[in-house]
Amino acid sequence: MKGKTTMTVIIGLICVVLVSVMFMQFKTISRIDITALENMQEKDLRNEINTSKTKYEDKVKELEDINLKIAEFNENADNNRKISELLTNELDQLKALAGLKSVSGSGVVVRLEDRQNSKVYANNLLELVNELKLAGAEAISINGERIVYDSYISDVGGEFITINGERIVSPYEVKAIGNPTYLESGLSKKQYGYIDKQKIEYNITVTLERKNNITINEYTGDLNFKSARSINS
Amino acid sequence: MVLIAIIIGCAVGALIGMNAPIISYTYSGYLAIAIVAALDSVFGGIASTIKGKFDMVIFVSGFFGNAILSILLTFLGEKLNVDIYLAAIVVFVGRMFTNLAIIRRHYIDKWVNRNKEKAE
Repeated sequence: MKGKTTMTVIIGLICVVLVSVMFMQFKTISRIDITALENMQEKDLRNEINTSKTKYEDKVKELEDINLKIAEFNENADNNRKISELLTNELDQLKALAGLKSVSGSGVVVRLEDRQNSKVYANNLLELVNELKLAGAEAISINGERIVYDSYISDVGGEFITINGERIVSPYEVKAIGNPTYLESGLSKKQYGYIDKQKIEYNITVTLERKNNITINEYTGDLNFKSARSINS
Repeated sequence: MVLIAIIIGCAVGALIGMNAPIISYTYSGYLAIAIVAALDSVFGGIASTIKGKFDMVIFVSGFFGNAILSILLTFLGEKLNVDIYLAAIVVFVGRMFTNLAIIRRHYIDKWVNRNKEKAE
């Protein structure tokens, strides 16, 4: 009797195990069904397509990046060209200002001449240059010698006048570019104006002429600082 | 008594199996082989009961032993890239048919004998 009970229990347990496992399997199979295998292959293919797509997108992105870089380089090149143009322009302007370029424009020509018993001295010319600058002259030359930032006018032994180390002799032709009206009126004030003063005090011939087109040549010497150094702020 | 145990066992097993978590597809192949082996053992058990040679220990050990062995063989076949589970299925299902034939003949004989007795 005892053996039969054990057997019954064991058979029951075995039935539990077998049927439970079978149902588990049924459930799995019904959920996954036979298309799962096909799905798996499809999944593989999909994965491959996805990876290819990702790769393609990456490459497209790379291409875009490179194109952007090329565009940037081109822009930079353009900018550089513009900058160099600007720099060239600025350089030209600065050269013109410094007197290293020939300039032309309207202005006045002042002529000073020695007389038999009265000479033109450096002081006369210096004063003239000063007056012209006061009246707004932008470029001045005396007998073709351009007045630049370090120009000097001095007498040499009472015989000659030197400008920028070059000897010049009478008649002295002073060309000045600027507003001719201002220049003329600045020089020809009555009595204490430059021209009258020269005539009265120094007894030298001074003539003034307005001209529409004066060309002033460039300074031919070197313009170099030897002691001064520019400070980069 | 035994019949009640079988019915109760089947019902409980069905409930457990329905509520159990889903096994991943990779392992369901092993489980299928195990089920076939267990079924073979069950039919073998029934056949031996009919013959009157039923042994509880042999039945239980065959039930679990065959299941585990078939799983192991299938696993080995997977590793060797040989479909060993095919051989297991052939053997188990073949034996299942043999056992079923024995059971069928037994009950047919019984039925025929009863008819004869009634006729007499």
